[in-house]
Amino acid sequence: MADSAPRPSSSVKLVLLGEAAVGKSSLVLRFVNNDFQENKEPTIGAAFLTQKCNLPTRTIKFEIWDTAGQERFASLAPMYYRNAQAALVVYDLTKPTSLIKAKHWVAELQRQASPGIVIALVGNKLDLTNASAAAAGGSSEDEDEESGGAAGGDGGDESGDARKISTDEAKTYAEEESLLFFETSAKTGHNVSEVFTAIANAIPETSLKSTRGPGASNAVSRGGDEQRVNLTGPRGDASKDSCAC
Amino acid sequence: MFTISNLVQKAQSAAQQLIDPMQGLNLTNSDRNPAKSTLFQYQFRLPSSQTPLYEIPAELTIPLRTSPKAYMCFSTTPSSFVSSASTATSSAFTGQTHGGGPSGNGFTFPLCAIRRVERLNSQSFQFALAITTWNGIPQEASKDKDAQKDKSQIREQRITIQLAGTRHACERFCDGLKKGLRGGVGNVGKLKKVVADCYSEYLLRPEDKKAANPPDAGLGMMFKYPGDPKKLRDRAKMRLWAEYLRDNGRNATLIRQPTFHKLIRVGLPNRLRGEMWELTSGSLYLRLENPTLYTDTLAKFSGKESLAIDEIEKDLNRSLPEYPGFQSEEGIGRLRRVLTAYSWINPEVGYCQAMNIVVAALLIYISESQAFFLLSALCDRLVPGYYSTTMYGTLLDQKVFESLVEKTMPVLWEHLVKADVQLSVVSLPWFLSLYINSMPLVFAFRVLDVFFVEGPKVLFQVGLAILRINGEELLDATDDGAFISVLKGYFSRLDESAHPKSENPKLRAINRFQELMVVAFKEFSGITHSTIQDLRLKNKDAVLNNIENFAKRTAIRNLGPDSKLLSPEELGAVYDRFYTILYERQQRDQSMQEERLRRAKTARPSGASAFSEHSDHGVEKGRVGLGPSTSLMDYDAFREFLAAMSKWAIADSPATPRRDTFPPADKDQYFSSFRKSTNNLLSPWGSRPEPAEHEFMQRLFRRWDVDGTSTLTLQNVVTGLAQIKGRRDIMGTITYFFELYDDDGDGKVDREGILRISEALLFLSRRGLEGTLSPSSSNPSLSTLTDTSGPLSPPIGGTMNERFLGSVSAFIRRCFEYADPDHPANQMEHTSNAVSSKTTEADESQAPDDSAFAIGDDEDEEEEEDLLAFDGPKESPQETPEESPSASKKKAVLPSNPPALGKPDAENETQRSVSKAQSEKANVALDPSNPLHMTLPTFRMVVLADELLEQFFESSFPTSLHVTEGLQSVNPGTPSLTTFASFGRSAASSLPIPQAAANGATRGLRGVLDNIVTDASRVAAEVRRRMEEAQRELEQNAVPGQKDEEEDDDDDLRVPKSAGGYGGDPERRSVRSSDLDLLDGADAEAGASKGQEGSSHSILKPTEATSSQSGASDPPGQRIVEFEG
Repeated sequence: MADSAPRPSSSVKLVLLGEAAVGKSSLVLRFVNNDFQENKEPTIGAAFLTQKCNLPTRTIKFEIWDTAGQERFASLAPMYYRNAQAALVVYDLTKPTSLIKAKHWVAELQRQASPGIVIALVGNKLDLTNASAAAAGGSSEDEDEESGGAAGGDGGDESGDARKISTDEAKTYAEEESLLFFETSAKTGHNVSEVFTAIANAIPETSLKSTRGPGASNAVSRGGDEQRVNLTGPRGDASKDSCAC
Repeated sequence: MFTISNLVQKAQSAAQQLIDPMQGLNLTNSDRNPAKSTLFQYQFRLPSSQTPLYEIPAELTIPLRTSPKAYMCFSTTPSSFVSSASTATSSAFTGQTHGGGPSGNGFTFPLCAIRRVERLNSQSFQFALAITTWNGIPQEASKDKDAQKDKSQIREQRITIQLAGTRHACERFCDGLKKGLRGGVGNVGKLKKVVADCYSEYLLRPEDKKAANPPDAGLGMMFKYPGDPKKLRDRAKMRLWAEYLRDNGRNATLIRQPTFHKLIRVGLPNRLRGEMWELTSGSLYLRLENPTLYTDTLAKFSGKESLAIDEIEKDLNRSLPEYPGFQSEEGIGRLRRVLTAYSWINPEVGYCQAMNIVVAALLIYISESQAFFLLSALCDRLVPGYYSTTMYGTLLDQKVFESLVEKTMPVLWEHLVKADVQLSVVSLPWFLSLYINSMPLVFAFRVLDVFFVEGPKVLFQVGLAILRINGEELLDATDDGAFISVLKGYFSRLDESAHPKSENPKLRAINRFQELMVVAFKEFSGITHSTIQDLRLKNKDAVLNNIENFAKRTAIRNLGPDSKLLSPEELGAVYDRFYTILYERQQRDQSMQEERLRRAKTARPSGASAFSEHSDHGVEKGRVGLGPSTSLMDYDAFREFLAAMSKWAIADSPATPRRDTFPPADKDQYFSSFRKSTNNLLSPWGSRPEPAEHEFMQRLFRRWDVDGTSTLTLQNVVTGLAQIKGRRDIMGTITYFFELYDDDGDGKVDREGILRISEALLFLSRRGLEGTLSPSSSNPSLSTLTDTSGPLSPPIGGTMNERFLGSVSAFIRRCFEYADPDHPANQMEHTSNAVSSKTTEADESQAPDDSAFAIGDDEDEEEEEDLLAFDGPKESPQETPEESPSASKKKAVLPSNPPALGKPDAENETQRSVSKAQSEKANVALDPSNPLHMTLPTFRMVVLADELLEQFFESSFPTSLHVTEGLQSVNPGTPSLTTFASFGRSAASSLPIPQAAANGATRGLRGVLDNIVTDASRVAAEVRRRMEEAQRELEQNAVPGQKDEEEDDDDDLRVPKSAGGYGGDPERRSVRSSDLDLLDGADAEAGASKGQEGSSHSILKPTEATSSQSGASDPPGQRIVEFEG
């Protein structure tokens, strides 16, 4: 079943890093299951999920390592970003400290992770900002299910703009460091799949390994092939190449 | 019925502990001889305050059930025996084991649970005790109900112990027991309260008394326990347990028999689960020790906030969210309180994700308070280091697990290596959350049941079993993802039959979890506590190093932009130094403390064992990898930190705290090295050179301490260093220096500050200058003087220092010359005062008059003011909270200082009294209300006006901080100090002078500088005792000294001349008025009146004359201080 797609398929190891409660797990959950849960158990160590991403020329199977965000788990991170080809460094648009932490992670990855790793900087919880109104439009998902949200924990649904980190600030930084840059909302689904698509596109062909047979199929059993469709989730908003760089 | 065990009386311990000899051996071997008390605590799961006092072999008879071969460990351990009555926990325990540690059979009785001990009459060679516990009473009632259970007539829980020691040992044991029992009487009430929270109390109560509410057995009572009670056969289990408890005692007085372990393996019944966890983990005893700790902690910290609390809040809603209890405010509230309370009592751990899950699980079965203590037992003993800030315990156990896999399942291991699958990616969450969020809850709790009895090895056994059972499938998995899926699938099918196709219905009935347990405890029964312990020891260093490297990398990377000013090597070195110092200090503190305790205990050898560490890992505190217990550097550590990099930061006379003599420098060296070799261990500085103490260092510390916490973080230190070393630009350094002394940040440094700057310059240069120094233009012989660390030949060094001295004195003069008066108008007025005073007084009296500022004031009614002057401005910068030996010494010495100075001046009394009036006037004139100040541009100009100073700021000062290489030879600069000494010798002769400086109006700059360079207060004490000697020394040294003096004079002369003209400064005025003859007069005066000072003056006289102007105008630190007072 791994080869259900006619296109060449390859797997990409992707790791999520970022401060606690910025919504790493929620982003993954949105991407993989197109779902959003309010009370997600904190990630202990790391969670592993898979999801496929269809590109015109090939299929990328993401092996996603969703790591724990609490500071003291940081020393475990090398275990997870080892051999990663892509990394999603997540911060919370409403929490300045989280961007600082994100920068730390970027620096760590640039020095310690495998060379050529594709790093995307993602500002999450866009739904808590004024831009959320526009963002929410396109996605048909169940963003209405809960308030607050696991992504936030602190997510207030008051309509005020909780944004603390301007797009420009983060974008400028991302450009300096040659990172992909997105602002997303795991709650509404805004821009989520775009992030992964952009990463898939940015992975150099050469660094792709092809998926393996039995192991892969096992691995997929949880992530599920059927979720491929989700990629078209927030269809209206952005095209695949919404990469900010 | 009972067997005889060997006598294992330990000679060194006054304790009698009845111990199964085989077991004793086991433990000792396996744990690499940890202290006996450690073993003891571990074995009986007792709090660390308990130590074995008496041990004695014994045999046990349990009346009802016959338990063959119940080896019995009977140990009484009220800590009040060990030391004084200070540790009043008279809860002594008796216990027994069989097999490994707490998993064995036996009992552990708090002595306060014992109602009566009787000595039985028996044959002479037997020594038998019958122990009756409090718990017999309700038991007796219940026994009335099920009389069929109980053939015996005994209505109380009563056990008999046969002591097998020598008669003497037995008697001693009984004595100890008696005392323990007596001590335990007070705790009976406590015990009853604690025990009342145990469900078994309620369970065994006769039906007619069951009206009362049952004790809290967790959220499960409200929200149902997980799993289907029918399927779990909860009722049947409960019946079995009730029976067991009736027969063998309950909670605090439970006797563990083989059945006990069997009962636990099949899973605890819901309502007894919490109690058994508490009992088997030993947390019951923690609770018994301090029953109200939980509520007290909550009350104490109510309303307070912390990082941990923030983190806890984030996770409260995501802890076992599927359990109904945690969808309610009740459950969330309990979870919040337990986690919060624990984060307060153990701030080093605080809160770690996964604790929320573990505690949430515990709370289903136990009350808040019980969960709190159970968490404590978990973090401290069962899974040490798991939740610490570096999680070293977790990482270590992952390594241990990996090596166990490699050993027990080599094929699988090889496969993992080949496929590049990291096992810990899978297994880490198992351990960290004790399988709670890996397996379905019902099964995870079964694992926990056994885990609390048998300890951490259970986690490994279960983990290995999981891999073993899934081995085939895992061998097919070729990446992390596949690996994880296999196991996830397995966990989700744990309740399915392990042998679905089997013909045998019994086999079919076995589910996968049961299979797992069998594999874990049968197949991996070889994994024991000692296996784990050995492997932990083996892997500890590697793991810690890894963590430390990571921490270092991260820490350095995360340092602010300032860190970019330093090279990576420098940053690495700073990091290492920073933590090395902290770590070493901690070690020293610890060993000193231990030493102290040891000494206190020498009289009682038995006590020594009480202080062994009880941590399972035997790890050193403070190591970064363990989660440094501090990452803050206080002032003393800061001094040490500097002393490791800069020679100026090393004390001249590494003195022990009591030392207040001040021998000549080289002698001092000798003593210091001698002292070091002998006194290493107990020196507060360990093997490191004693750091100097100087006001400059205090200023530096405060400057670096940007947050005003009186401690420095690594970031502070890096920023601080970067500002000095990073810029490498002279203007920057000058500004930096200026700002150090601009206390109020108004861009002005006052007179006091100017003097302090010059003090600092001398302090920093007293071991010679480093960096690039251009040869002196004035002195060709110095052309070789691009000194760095190499020993300078004394003459050259001397001259170099001379030169710098000159530069500094010129600096002072220039500073005053170009300084701006603050209140010109006032000064005019004071000028006239000064003038009038001058005219009214004879020339000779003028000098002592100046001196009277110090001395006269001391003795007269102005003493207070003078003291202020002394203690205030001079010392106040040193009044940082730190209590270094030298600082405290200083304080001690200071009060005696003024009298010391005053005395020799007895002869001057008359003059002084005459001069007093004037001195008062002068003081008015020099009143701080009439200050002057220097601005940064002035300072810059003054510095740049002198080549040597310029070079100092350009290169010497930044270079003097050897961040990367450190100080190669840690000898406090025998060579370099000789340099100084040679210079000092001429000046050293005048060492007493600094004291005298206080009263010598004509104090030469030389004297001042000496004063500055040496530790004034130390000298102060010395002066008193060594007046005579000093004079002799002076005379001896007079000749060479004079030479130097004269050289200096040139420098000095030059400046004063230019400096002579300003009248704005009150001091200057007075100096001018007194003039040279005044100075001469002063010298003569001093020489005549006070021998020791006169001698110094005699040397200095030539200088004095010239520098007097400057001396007066740039008054020596002390004098100025007085003026300013």
